[in-house]
Amino acid sequence: MSVMKLNVIDLEKSEYTGGKSSLCPGCGHDQISNVIIQAAWENGIPPEGIAKMSGIGCSSKTPAYFLGKSHGFNTVHGRMPSVTTGASMANKSLSFIAVSGDGDTASIGIGQFVHAIRRNLDMVYIIENNGVYGLTKGQYSATVEKGSRKKKGTMNEQPPIDLCAMAINLGCSFVARSFSGSKKQLTALIRAAMGHRGMAVIDVISPCVTFANNDESYKSYNYVKENDEVLHMLDYIPHFTPLEEVDIPEGEYDDIQMFDGSTLRLETVGDDHDPSDAVSALSAIHRAEKEGKHVTGLLYYDDSMQTADEEIGLTETPLSALSEAELRPSEADLAGINAAFRGD
Amino acid sequence: MEKQETMERICNDFTINIATANGTGSQSANLIVLNSMFQMGVPVSGKNLFPSNISGLPTWFIIRASDRGYQAPGDKAHIQVLMNKDTWQKDLDSLEPGTVVIYNEDVKLPVDRDDCPSFGMPMTKMARGINPKLARLMCNMYYVGALAHLLGIDDAAVSDALGRQFKGKEKAIELNTRAIGEGRAYAEENWEGGIPYCVEARDKDPDAFLVEGNEAVALGSIFGGVNMLSWYPITPSSSLAESIIEWLPKLREGDDGGATCAVIQAEDELAAAGMVIGAGWAGGRGMTCTSGPGISLMSEFIGLAYFAEVPGVIWDINRVGPSTGLPTRTQQGDLSMLYEASHGDTQHIVIIPGTVDECFEYGWRIFDYAERFQTLVFGFSDLDLGMNNWSTAGFQYPDSPMDRGKVLRTQDELDAVADYGRYRDVDGDGIPYRTLPGSGLDPVLYRGTGHDEDGVYSEDPDVYYATVSRLRRKIDGARDLLPAPVIREEEEQQIGVIYYGSMENSITEIDDMLESTGLSVSTCRVRALPYHSEVESFIERHDKVIVLEINRDGQLYGILRKELPVELLPRLHSVAYTDGIPPRARVYADKILETLEVTV
Repeated sequence: MSVMKLNVIDLEKSEYTGGKSSLCPGCGHDQISNVIIQAAWENGIPPEGIAKMSGIGCSSKTPAYFLGKSHGFNTVHGRMPSVTTGASMANKSLSFIAVSGDGDTASIGIGQFVHAIRRNLDMVYIIENNGVYGLTKGQYSATVEKGSRKKKGTMNEQPPIDLCAMAINLGCSFVARSFSGSKKQLTALIRAAMGHRGMAVIDVISPCVTFANNDESYKSYNYVKENDEVLHMLDYIPHFTPLEEVDIPEGEYDDIQMFDGSTLRLETVGDDHDPSDAVSALSAIHRAEKEGKHVTGLLYYDDSMQTADEEIGLTETPLSALSEAELRPSEADLAGINAAFRGD
Repeated sequence: MEKQETMERICNDFTINIATANGTGSQSANLIVLNSMFQMGVPVSGKNLFPSNISGLPTWFIIRASDRGYQAPGDKAHIQVLMNKDTWQKDLDSLEPGTVVIYNEDVKLPVDRDDCPSFGMPMTKMARGINPKLARLMCNMYYVGALAHLLGIDDAAVSDALGRQFKGKEKAIELNTRAIGEGRAYAEENWEGGIPYCVEARDKDPDAFLVEGNEAVALGSIFGGVNMLSWYPITPSSSLAESIIEWLPKLREGDDGGATCAVIQAEDELAAAGMVIGAGWAGGRGMTCTSGPGISLMSEFIGLAYFAEVPGVIWDINRVGPSTGLPTRTQQGDLSMLYEASHGDTQHIVIIPGTVDECFEYGWRIFDYAERFQTLVFGFSDLDLGMNNWSTAGFQYPDSPMDRGKVLRTQDELDAVADYGRYRDVDGDGIPYRTLPGSGLDPVLYRGTGHDEDGVYSEDPDVYYATVSRLRRKIDGARDLLPAPVIREEEEQQIGVIYYGSMENSITEIDDMLESTGLSVSTCRVRALPYHSEVESFIERHDKVIVLEINRDGQLYGILRKELPVELLPRLHSVAYTDGIPPRARVYADKILETLEVTV
């Protein structure tokens, strides 16, 4: 009998898997689900400590397909961030992993996306971005590039909403872009995002094999593979692996320390990208867009921001775990209120 | 000045109407008049008819003094205070002969009513004498002094009310005391003849004080253990959220000094509702407060909470609809929307306080209902109850511990439930058990899509029908566990009047008007939906039943017609009227009498 591999908290990977996917065979979203499973398992996060959140759409169905031992909430279209906000206030000890799509985030839910970022909610926000509405059979979404053409229908003429550029402008504390076909890069980014405290937005280009995987579509497998402008090579070193035991890369590199003590190692390829520089991150995005490219990697990172619960100053115990004695003021308190109203 | 011996004295039974412009500080002056009478033990009520505007548009404040305890705005003004040039003539024209007029001479408009005793005072000029910069605000204090003189309001009561209004602001107290004193002295020296109206001190209940319904709900919510308040500003509910924010630090700090309730000003009402559901899903007590337009926006989430069975609380402080409507006026126009909000077949619990005591009580109890029935529960108040001052003898401490509902928190608790499934009706009451995120106990993916008893996605016809049938059974089962109606019943069971909410403040007077015609009238105040079985038995015992409401269409009447046994329907008659003003007893009593005549 073969010995099953265990993670740092002695769990098999099967403890992190979910139900069978009902998405189209070959869908990029299923690859992302597998990466989420891998990342949570490798990071050794107890499954019960994770909360899976999603809105509505193909991508938002996927929480049924990963982390079956975690509670989750498949909410309403575009409104996942507000439900996550309330849940995070009630129980800030949960690790929120949210999945949304480009329709769910860039159109109907753009307001909630914006405001969750402004609050720096402590969550991982993964956008599975394919430029089309899949479940309603292939209408363009707001992230489709100008000049891109899906399998059927006319070319898109409207400029796209770049969710990463938007997040950076809003002061998001962790902004990355990746590709569902780049397993190593995506795994490192999701693992790092899980170790980050604050809002981590990862925009993952995830081809729709049914409606937009033709070569004229800027989000098809072939197109992204050929036009992926990688910012850096990424290595994730968890907090339980001592850095000195990790091989030093031959070339130049930067280490970024995550909140949980883990490290994201950025190995320079070509031009050096400084993720603390919002302006250079934005110019990288805009330059790539102009050239019809997709820039991928950790675009922006800022660990100095207060999270929503810190700003509010929540008590240490998760609010959902407080006792009645802690939640209901005393009879003497009420007597004092009545007396104050009476002017006693 | 000697009072005229011959004049008929009318004590503690009159209505004052004070016409000012919004944003001139008149609300402080008005509340001082109201509170000083209240401190003398005079039963009073105050209604603020304010515009949707920060500064300039007309405002009226109506003070009713009534030894009989009538709190509705009176049918007419006995004393009219004129401060606002924009409404001057219209206000004058509307007065009945004999109405006492007190006016600011500095407005420089004529008072062309020889049939009304009129008293002018150069209020602005006098206020300028004290402080030119504050004259616009302080001139209002002169009518306080004038009214105190004419009605015989004690100096001590005025000082007391002034102190309450400007808590601790010594400079404001000093200046305004001077202005009121000058107003009183001017009236004494310059005004010939008295007026028939006066106040007479009564034995004041030493426990009684005035408070707004919104503040009462806010305090109740804090005693109910609210963990998360999400809100989006909207009149007339903003003061509810702001009261919670004001009281929280004094009442609800954790051991480490941290907050035990998160307050989030949301980006819109949709987000506010989403946060409530998120908090409830994660095991917290979440609430938001809004008005009709907010409920319209929240409707999608309301359906999610109903179908996914997530507890949460939404207070609707009703204003006048439809659409933006009359944002600063009152109505009971949202009831049927609340009861069946969101698409598909839904039904929601609605809790309806009619007094500030109930605002406090339901403020905490509503969380117990939400968690017990694992659903979204509405608190239903309105602008009149929420933003006007009402008397209470003091809030009562909760008489029962928190009910956190059927939550399984440990493996042992989970194991003890035979055949557990998130949506399985184990106990036969339609209410399933639930486990919380973070517990690792039988996790499910909550969803607004069809689901089976284990929470797994399902489009199976039998599964769907079983689910929605159980949901109906669950809410229906709440009827007799929710607040029972308040019934005041005559022995002779001729006419029954069913009403709810802020109509409580007008019902005594309406009842007296009806009984003065020889009718025997019982009343039944509904305090929750789905309605209690006692409502049905009240209808059974009465020959004719009027359903009295502050809306156009008779919304509770519609709900009753849908749910009552068909043989009771012929007894039921709707009297519904709304014009934005808190219900005047005469208007509603006449409409009831008309309806009864037609149905004889």
